[in-house]
Amino acid sequence: MKSLAYILKRLLLMVPTFAIVMVIIFLLVRMLPGDPAIAIAGDKASDADLAAIRERLGLTEPLLVQFWLFLTNTLQGDLGRSIMLKAPTLGVILDRLPTTAFLTLYAVTLSLLIAGPLAFVAALNRGRWPDAAIRAVFQVGLSMPVFYIGLILLTFLAARARLFPVGGIGHGFVENLHQLFLPAMTIALYTSAIVMRNLRAAIIEVLDADYVQFARAKGLSSRLILGRHVLRNALISTVTLLGLSIGNLMSGTLVTETVFAVPGVGRLMLEAIFARDYPLIQGLTLTFAILVSAVFLLTDLVQSWLDPRMRLT
Amino acid sequence: MNTRRIASALALAAVLGTPAFAQDRGGILNFARYDGSQLVDPIYADRNPDIWMVASLFDTLLRLGADGKSVEPGLAESHEMSADGRTVTLKLRSGLTFADGSPLTGADVIFSLDRARNGDLSSWAGLIGSIDKVTADGDMITIALKTPDPTILTMLATFNTAIVSKAAFDAAPGATDQEKSAAIFAKGGPGVGSGPFYLCGFEQGATMDFCANKGYWRQGADGKPLPYLDGVHFQVIPDDATRILKLQAGEVDVAEFVPFARVAELQADEKLNMELFPSTRIIYSPINVRATRADGSPNPLADVRVRQALNYATDKAALIGLVLHGAGKPMSSPLMAAATQDSIDMSPLYGYDIEKAKALIAEAGLPAGTKITFTTLAGSADDATIFAALQQMWAPLGIDLVVEQVDGPTRGAKNRSGEFDIHTYGWVNDVNDASQVVGWLGHTPTANAVGTGWEDATFNSLYEAAQTEMDPAKRADEFAQMQKIYAEAAPLLFMYETPFAVAVSKQVSGYVQTPLGANVFEEATVSR
Repeated sequence: MKSLAYILKRLLLMVPTFAIVMVIIFLLVRMLPGDPAIAIAGDKASDADLAAIRERLGLTEPLLVQFWLFLTNTLQGDLGRSIMLKAPTLGVILDRLPTTAFLTLYAVTLSLLIAGPLAFVAALNRGRWPDAAIRAVFQVGLSMPVFYIGLILLTFLAARARLFPVGGIGHGFVENLHQLFLPAMTIALYTSAIVMRNLRAAIIEVLDADYVQFARAKGLSSRLILGRHVLRNALISTVTLLGLSIGNLMSGTLVTETVFAVPGVGRLMLEAIFARDYPLIQGLTLTFAILVSAVFLLTDLVQSWLDPRMRLT
Repeated sequence: MNTRRIASALALAAVLGTPAFAQDRGGILNFARYDGSQLVDPIYADRNPDIWMVASLFDTLLRLGADGKSVEPGLAESHEMSADGRTVTLKLRSGLTFADGSPLTGADVIFSLDRARNGDLSSWAGLIGSIDKVTADGDMITIALKTPDPTILTMLATFNTAIVSKAAFDAAPGATDQEKSAAIFAKGGPGVGSGPFYLCGFEQGATMDFCANKGYWRQGADGKPLPYLDGVHFQVIPDDATRILKLQAGEVDVAEFVPFARVAELQADEKLNMELFPSTRIIYSPINVRATRADGSPNPLADVRVRQALNYATDKAALIGLVLHGAGKPMSSPLMAAATQDSIDMSPLYGYDIEKAKALIAEAGLPAGTKITFTTLAGSADDATIFAALQQMWAPLGIDLVVEQVDGPTRGAKNRSGEFDIHTYGWVNDVNDASQVVGWLGHTPTANAVGTGWEDATFNSLYEAAQTEMDPAKRADEFAQMQKIYAEAAPLLFMYETPFAVAVSKQVSGYVQTPLGANVFEEATVSR
């Protein structure tokens, strides 16, 4: 009952957040330099064409009127029509969203699979060569730009070794596990570096904690200590970290989806910005905002499950 | 193995291996594109990835000849222009059908041309603004013109006048023509066009599929209908490096828009043909010629001698080497690419001559240290290179060139408002006639002479005369005069022409990108 009230409270808090997000989205898009009419019709269009386009898009209306329309339409689930795709914005976003969601979850899974075991190895060998080696390798991953990692993976694993296809997307879950491995890995290599460092530090901290020393003194097996006490407590900060990096992961897809030719919302966002596609930029930003808020909420819930102290706050 | 068996094996190999005996047919061509189509409809196509695909799905009444300049029969097997230049009559081929087998009739032609010239629907309507009325009597089509129009036959061979099925539009859901068009495109299928292919698959931003129209009217070398291919599978790969990797890995057969820096490397790849198709693309920089700048300060570029000096001081060969790695040539006409009809060869157009440039600057009395802003596209490596080169080339003239980086729509807005000194720009013809590009670059009422503010009464009246001049020789002479006036006035920094760089697997032959950019798969083959 208490957790239900907690969720409701968190959901209510989202209302003012979204009100602010809507205002910012609306204003930011209109502060971009450049005329959307030129972006739509191209440089060759006549002045009359441009005027007609501005009229049709409602860009000649006062800003407040435009905002009111944006607000009321959005609340009714109408995000308008994408200018460049000539189709309803919501449909376009919903079409592309599953791909990005798949890619992001895949990347998170891979980064946990990479970072988890290695963090344990590093923490348990603190200060010795395995620790140094693991940290050195991840430092390289952290220092390289995402698109560069992507191109290296593409060149060696796809074009040369032919282990994976060079970009694009497949059909169905299993095919995409193979098809999207490289883009997911590109994001995961970066994310896992952060997760590994954090998890390693957390494990070390927990290993030194009094209750772990006490458990050892009681004669509990190492496996039990690591599984029940260390992992669970070390995960708290990692979950927070992953939750907070959802924004990073999302922006990672902008680059990765372009390099790997994955038709997701990340690439769509880039295209929409270049095309000054106001409705699409607004719709996508709103989608990102909703996703980030949802992930934050989920993070809090998982955290309170892992750490009972947080349930009542 | 005895000699006879070897001989017969060789004979068999000769038969199988010689293309003269059998035309390669069948197969799917895999094509990596730089950007995806959004709506391939003759009248709504307004972006190159759409425009360049129209002809694969929709046929026009007339076609461009192989030389790219003449017109030849298309859906209409013959055409005639009346002596007064006010009526075009065309005779449709008999037995024409759309890709689904339904008949293509005069009613479809009327519907298509009425749609194409409706300014409320299409931004291309102005190209056929001379049409007064289209009528059909059986296979005979009559197009009545308001005024004589020297470009009308060319326009009937241009993508926006391609023929669509009236029945398909009547049956499509949607309240407006554009909604119907979008619904037809989303659904795909053979019912709407009569081109060599029909749309048989589309995932926005990802893939597109063309399937062969088995009833296409044009015949291949083997006497059977074109196209040779069963279809084309397009994948959208926006990143240049990835597109090329995909080709090198053998996952696609063609990768378009190869960056010029990679051309030499791919030329050396024995599995590829690195095609450099001649284009009508020109790269130039408009120069603001207004007496004052947008901020009210006096504009040094208003003096024609300064503009000429900048042109003389620009080493085009060096620019082509730096930006295109040699894969281009200096503009030879000031107003259009050499591949455009009625272009004249004025090369060397402002050949590099730094002494002449310095003399002109001295004559104009330009003070040393004059600051000029060069506006480039943010993120464009080519523009950055051009700027760095010009900054050095113009330094001996005492010009302090500074850069301002903006994005595409901002550059377009600056061009229109005149808030620039010089900025990079490019152009590809959409139609096979000089009037479009000349109107854009030089005719002040059309686009303020590409935003420069340049105005020349003689030029403008020559341009307007050329719009209705029916004598090809006289019209060519008018365009020649315009080119000479324009070169002298130098409202542009005349730079270079670039080809379309397309890397094609050696398994593919017959794929062509036209000088206007259109992708032509009609006679392409693939052997696996």
